[in-house]
Amino acid sequence: MDWLEDELRRALARQDAPVGFAERVLARGRREPHGARRWLAAAAMVVVAAGAAGAWRQHQGYEAKREMMLALRLAAAPMHRIQLEVKDITQ
Amino acid sequence: MLNVVVEIGCDFTELLRQHQAMVFSIALHFLRDRATAEEVAQEVFFSLHRNLHQIETPLHAAAWLRKVAVQRAIDEGRRRSRKPQLALEDVAEPAAAAVKPSDPLLSELLRKLIATLPEAPRMVMVLRYQEDLDPSEIAAALEMPVATVKSHLQRSLVLLRGKLARRGIGESGWTG
Repeated sequence: MDWLEDELRRALARQDAPVGFAERVLARGRREPHGARRWLAAAAMVVVAAGAAGAWRQHQGYEAKREMMLALRLAAAPMHRIQLEVKDITQ
Repeated sequence: MLNVVVEIGCDFTELLRQHQAMVFSIALHFLRDRATAEEVAQEVFFSLHRNLHQIETPLHAAAWLRKVAVQRAIDEGRRRSRKPQLALEDVAEPAAAAVKPSDPLLSELLRKLIATLPEAPRMVMVLRYQEDLDPSEIAAALEMPVATVKSHLQRSLVLLRGKLARRGIGESGWTG
């Protein structure tokens, strides 16, 4: 075996992680949500937002219809009076 | 204690215990700074924690950790590259006559010499002599051609032999 490669293996042998390393990693993992749970939370937010957008569009539709009906009633009122007057005249 | 168990049995705590030395050592030998190496290693395991659902087998986990450790160490090295690095001339050297095979001083000198290598050959040397990977495995980890890996290995060894020889350190008698 080549002497330099032997020495390189010795020089670059794995060293133990610092004392307490695993505990620090685990402690940090407890502080932040698990990856899968974050994805689920994000997906849930998208669904809620889509539902809210749909409900808003439906509300806007109802409002538009209500306003149109009111406008028609207002427009129709004078016509109704005219019809009554014409009826009176012709009778 | 956190203990995430995925359906195929890759327990995070167990993976952490098994591979913390590998991940830390890759960062340490590449970056030559223990505090930074620990930060990098923590980030690697935290990344594993977030992506545990992607891990298929324990073997896959080891390869995944090695690859991410390499990437994070290289990224950190690039962030630090703006800072003045130790010139090879400033590296404290053992007296040639005092160096013997398996000498801790020689090991320290070799680590410092490797730290002066450019990024790619430096990581090739770490993966070859720390992890005992063959060139094809190193090529996969670094996403570079096998021929490039072999070239880095060969040139680095020639360079190191030359530097050691100029210091009177070599196989022939160890006194130059």
